[in-house]
Amino acid sequence: MTTARVLIAGIALSMAGCSGVQSVLSPAGAEAGRIAAFFWVLVGGGGIILAAVIALTGLALGRRRHRWLQSESLVLWGGLAFPTVVLSGLLVFSLPLMRAGAVADRQALRIEVVGERWWWRVVYSGTDGRPVELANELVIPVGRSVEIALRSADVIHSFWVPRLAGKLDMIPGRTNSLRLVADQPGISRGQCAEYCGGAHALMSFHVVALEPAAFEAWLARQAAPAMTPSEPQAEAGRALFIASGCGACHTVRGTGAAGRIGPDLTHLGSRHSLAAATLPNDAPSIARWIRDNQHIKPENLMPPFAIFSAAELDQLAAYLAGLK
Amino acid sequence: MAAAARWPAFGRAAVCLAVAVLVVAGAGFLFALSGLYDIAAGREHLAPTRQFLELAKRRSVAVHSVFVEVPRRDDDDLVRLGAGHFASGCAPCHGAPGVPVGPIARRMQPAPPDLAQIAPTWSSKELFWIVKNGLKYTGMPAWPAPQRDDEVWMVVAFLRALPSLDAAGYRAMTGRGQSGLARLDSHDPAVRNCARCHGDASAAPVSPLVPSLNGQSVSYLALSLANFAEGRRPSGIMQPIAAAFDTTDRGRLAEIYSTLTPAARAAPTATDAQIERGHRIAIAGVPGRGIPPCLTCHGGGGLATYPRLAGQSAAYLAGQLRLLRLGTRAGTPQGAIMTPIARLLAPDDIEAVAAYFDSLRDAAPDSGDGPRRLRVP
Repeated sequence: MTTARVLIAGIALSMAGCSGVQSVLSPAGAEAGRIAAFFWVLVGGGGIILAAVIALTGLALGRRRHRWLQSESLVLWGGLAFPTVVLSGLLVFSLPLMRAGAVADRQALRIEVVGERWWWRVVYSGTDGRPVELANELVIPVGRSVEIALRSADVIHSFWVPRLAGKLDMIPGRTNSLRLVADQPGISRGQCAEYCGGAHALMSFHVVALEPAAFEAWLARQAAPAMTPSEPQAEAGRALFIASGCGACHTVRGTGAAGRIGPDLTHLGSRHSLAAATLPNDAPSIARWIRDNQHIKPENLMPPFAIFSAAELDQLAAYLAGLK
Repeated sequence: MAAAARWPAFGRAAVCLAVAVLVVAGAGFLFALSGLYDIAAGREHLAPTRQFLELAKRRSVAVHSVFVEVPRRDDDDLVRLGAGHFASGCAPCHGAPGVPVGPIARRMQPAPPDLAQIAPTWSSKELFWIVKNGLKYTGMPAWPAPQRDDEVWMVVAFLRALPSLDAAGYRAMTGRGQSGLARLDSHDPAVRNCARCHGDASAAPVSPLVPSLNGQSVSYLALSLANFAEGRRPSGIMQPIAAAFDTTDRGRLAEIYSTLTPAARAAPTATDAQIERGHRIAIAGVPGRGIPPCLTCHGGGGLATYPRLAGQSAAYLAGQLRLLRLGTRAGTPQGAIMTPIARLLAPDDIEAVAAYFDSLRDAAPDSGDGPRRLRVP
């Protein structure tokens, strides 16, 4: 009885990993749906074959001798013909899945994602055709096909959002194209799936699927320059941000900060996470990140800024969190 | 059989030897315990003792300095800077041309040797090792900042030049007793001490390896002195000097230097191409390699605790960037920011940005902590 309970508890616990924002088994898009279906076919078919092989082994080990188990034709049909047919069938079934949705679609939304150590540079095309840059977050409209141009700025990364599509490498010097469609609104989580150095494990991002109208409104907001802070705390933070040299690496559109080395912070406050989905996005986390980023995400390329007093960190955090 | 027969004889000899060693060690211990040994510094060692200690010292230094690598650079700039430290750090015990050994040091045992006499008997490697590591039981201290081999080599360069200096040459080099270098505020010994190396309103620093302090912000200068004094920014030259000042003194010195305009300096020697390359890095960085532009922080609008680099000598800037690359300056929050950036700079990037800031002559600093104007050529 106890064994059964432990078994059930164990199964329940391991099944908990099958739902959630980063699971292949809870697909939120057509691409991922096909991959999940294929997975179940493999698990089901493999299970049946395993059961059959176990049964035959049992028969062979038994007292009674079965002549047909010793026949050459069983080896030919069961050991040669059957695997050839099954594996060929699976190959034909799976090849279309590997095309990564390469069917051209003129209506597709085009997004460029550049893998950087260790974050994601995301570039949309604004309504006026000018690029709109953000980082570590993709927002896509439900039901519209999305074509993602994947590039790398340094080493090989791999773009993988398990709930939306299969993984595809980002290779320096070439552009890979990934096509996906979200069929329900919601948040999915993605992860770099190719070891790319020190902070690889903390190189994640979120993909937010919105209804088309909400998406258009979002894109228009992202294309606008940064908000001017209204309260004195955030205003002081903005002056500190500029004087401390943050703009050497970060862009905040509408201010003098125009660095292209680190993530664009123009609408930092509107994102779901900080530091490539490493921290929640709130003012205390921003302050922690500025001072302790080398502890939070060792080897990341931002220097630690331990020069600020607690009050100054609060000002900076208030400013950045307010950039909605 | 024959070999087996020899063993008891061998064993007896070993036991005898061990007993002899124990007896000698025990006798030595009893002698120390008796208190009969005269440890007075005022009395010379016996001649055999002195010769034995001398032999041990020579051999120890020779063996320990075998793997010291002598840098190629050995020029007058190093000698002048080494002279500045020698005057305050070494001469009080060792004396110098025209400067007698102080009355206290004269009574040390062993007596600090006249370095003009003794330095030529050591190789450069050995001098480096001694200045860096000091000598046990002699009163010779190790270098205050073990990370700063570059500073130790400055002293070695000076020690090489010392035998050829007479009293007038030494005075000219260290500024001791010379009226010209004490123009700033001759009644203030603290300021006189700074001006000896860093120059003042009318004199440029004594060597391009020494930074000009004129026109840096009060915050930056006071912070640097505090960092030196507390060892966060390692320097065997600056730490003893800064540690001797209290916070009020540091603030006063910072105030004085912040109000000065840069003194006239020699024309830059770098090529135009180098300066232009440095200019590009200073205003735009190298985004493809993650190098941010220098001037975002070190130009007009940066925090007061960031140094202004315009008009600083190329030799000093390049030297500091190399120290930053080594991680020597990572102990301060400001140094921790700059260390990873310096590590992105290739050796020729360092030369280029140093040449660019060196080439700026008309930076117009103002007093206090306000933003600076920086004219870019």
